[in-house]
Amino acid sequence: MPQIAIVGGGPGGLFTAWHLEQLATAPIEITIFEATDRVGGKVITPRFTAAPVHYEAGAAELYDYSPVGDDPLRELVESFGLPTVALGGSRVYVGGRAIANLDDLRDAYGDRACRDLGNFDTWARSVMTPREFFASGSDHAGSAEPSGRFDTTLAALPSREIRHYLETMIHSDLATPPAATSVAYGLQNYLMNDPAYMRLYCIAGGNEQLIDALVARLAATMRRSTVVEQVGEGSADQLRLTLLGHEGRREADFDIVVLALPMDALGRLAFASGSLAAAMQRHLAHHDHPAHYLRITLLLDGPPHTPTDDDGYLMLDAFGGCCLYLESAREPEARHGVLGWLLGGAAAESMAAWSDADLVTAALATLPDPLAVDPERVLEARVHRWTGAVSSLPGGWQPLSQDQRHRPAAKTHPGLFVVGDYLYDSTLNGVLDSAEHVAGCVAAELTDHAREI
Amino acid sequence: MTAKDQDATARHDVDADSGATGLAVPGGLPTTAGLRRVMVPPGRAFDLLIVPTEGEPADSGDWIERARLWTAAPGLLPKQPAAHTAVPVLIPLYGCHVIWAPARGAVLGPTGRLDQLQVSLLEFAGCEADLADLELRCNRLLAATEGDAAAAFEFDERGPDRRAELASRFQEAVAVRRGLAALGPAVHVPPVHPPTLASQLAERLRDRTRLPERHELVTDRADFVLQIYEACGQRASEAAIARRQMGLEWAIIVILVAQLALMIVELLASRNST
Ligand SMILES: Cc1cc2nc3c(=O)[nH]c(=O)nc-3n(C[C@H](O)[C@H](O)[C@H](O)COP(=O)(O)OP(=O)(O)OC[C@H]3O[C@@H](n4cnc5c(N)ncnc54)[C@H](O)[C@@H]3O)c2cc1C
Repeated sequence: MPQIAIVGGGPGGLFTAWHLEQLATAPIEITIFEATDRVGGKVITPRFTAAPVHYEAGAAELYDYSPVGDDPLRELVESFGLPTVALGGSRVYVGGRAIANLDDLRDAYGDRACRDLGNFDTWARSVMTPREFFASGSDHAGSAEPSGRFDTTLAALPSREIRHYLETMIHSDLATPPAATSVAYGLQNYLMNDPAYMRLYCIAGGNEQLIDALVARLAATMRRSTVVEQVGEGSADQLRLTLLGHEGRREADFDIVVLALPMDALGRLAFASGSLAAAMQRHLAHHDHPAHYLRITLLLDGPPHTPTDDDGYLMLDAFGGCCLYLESAREPEARHGVLGWLLGGAAAESMAAWSDADLVTAALATLPDPLAVDPERVLEARVHRWTGAVSSLPGGWQPLSQDQRHRPAAKTHPGLFVVGDYLYDSTLNGVLDSAEHVAGCVAAELTDHAREI
Repeated sequence: MTAKDQDATARHDVDADSGATGLAVPGGLPTTAGLRRVMVPPGRAFDLLIVPTEGEPADSGDWIERARLWTAAPGLLPKQPAAHTAVPVLIPLYGCHVIWAPARGAVLGPTGRLDQLQVSLLEFAGCEADLADLELRCNRLLAATEGDAAAAFEFDERGPDRRAELASRFQEAVAVRRGLAALGPAVHVPPVHPPTLASQLAERLRDRTRLPERHELVTDRADFVLQIYEACGQRASEAAIARRQMGLEWAIIVILVAQLALMIVELLASRNST
């Protein structure tokens, strides 16, 4: 029976195992190695200790592309029967002033600025239609994708206010400075605010339920608290993994190895053979462009005194642009309040060195008047530092073909595959696309192999 | 302004004189608060309470609660609100508040925002009233299909009245379906981006009252009803044709019999003469 190892028990690893189990036409044995004692990676919904209230520490929103095309993630969530909540938020606080629509924008900056935004919006849509947005990152995207750096696009805007407004609006999603962001990626982050392109949602009761649902349905063997240290060559055409777990260090050979790891973890992995190490070096050199996030989440003694709109989040111009999630707003009956700041890019990187207490003080100070919270009302604070945890291609870089992306050493080590969100758009939808692609390739190869035998 | 827009404005004609409408601004609201009575399609009166909240947050005092109670006045709410809608619907919207119930609505916010909110609310109220009317008519037809469905299989002639009755139901089903088709674009409006306050309100109102889902459901029902009455029509005309054919057959039989009789008479006469 073919032995398959999946390294990494995050969404990428679990999605790959799920698809492999669905596609396999003959018995296979899948083992998932997870370094920590929990699976799920950056999809994590912890609970506060002061009250039975949960919050999102990693991925907070899922992207719904179903109005434009196939959306495997939405389909998966629905097939598991997980209830979802739509997430919306058009308020951007700039200089303490809320701008939620064109009427607010006109009041704040006048008719000219409004026209400038209109022109930018028209241009953005003409450059990238909903279908192109949907296909971006795939082999079908073609050369139609706009190239260049996003900072030059922003610099070309006549109105300084609109530039600042747009930067604030999209910064925390980018997690990279506009100078290191491609026009295509920057535009995607602007256009994702338009429901014609996509919608946001989350899983009621926490996104980690998707992980629980997957784990409950997988037949694969789960090896938690087992770090994969090295990938080398094994007997015959197999690949050999060096594993460090409770039982100490050991080695195991596999026919196929799927590395479902984010860039930072992939960079820490050792590769025993020279050609494999060189191939992985090339893969890293192309894809490793670390971006940073930082989450500060506060549990309040009651719902925050926010204007009680339906919005699940809003944008603040603090920390170079950050997203404030009104997490308790998702649960109308919530007796506690949960406010979560998502910082991205340089601010997230530099502030990761701050103490939790300083971060909480800084976060509270960013709240504009109508949202202000008395520090006395904070029951508990949680900080999650995600330095270098994501990666995206900088402006001007051309994505590789699907096969090149997923098989870094196709000729010398055809049994080695990689799965990652960084191969697409650094989201769960992206990592699912990646997992689907690899599972399809592996299943096809196993079928061919079985036929040969 | 398109002809359709003009039509919409015309239908929103205002009778602002609260004396004439017998309405009064509820107590406890700012003195600047006003009332409008607007006719929305299909010829229903919709009362609109307008509360400027200048210099005060919209939730100051208990204005929102007073406005909500006013919109929820007894006798004005449907006995059975749509499955997912708790009426009145309260929508807080970036410093403004909008309340909608089938016969009354209220907008609270800074003066500079009230016009946009009113236009959006009235457009929605008209659309919802239209849909509610079509739902009612469709439900009546649906109930009637229970008795009429048999006629879609075999037409039981109980006099000419029955046929006329089925024909009128068919016409009503066509009218309902046509109304739903006409209403479709107003219900399934693609989201506006970048949004305006009016578009945000319209989206939230449609969303909260499940307008698109209700429209889809009633359209499905109307299609079903239409199918039944189309089949009834088919059977009824088949029965009419059959009746006509039977008459013809009898006429032919009578003629043949007469011809036969004549032949016999002729035969007997010729025998007698020989
Ligand atoms: C703060 C933040 C917010 C985000 N928000 C969103 C969002 O709103 N929407 C969205 O779609 N995406 C979001 N993302 C991205 C999303 O979390 C990732 O796309 C997704 O988690 C990628 O899954 P993965 O399995 O590739 O990596 P991970 O989730 O990082 O999982 C990798 C797993 O591998 C394990 N591992 C690492 N090294 C080894 C080793 N040597 N041996 C064995 N196991 C190992 C890790 O412990 C981990 O469990 C966000 C990310 C961050 C950091």
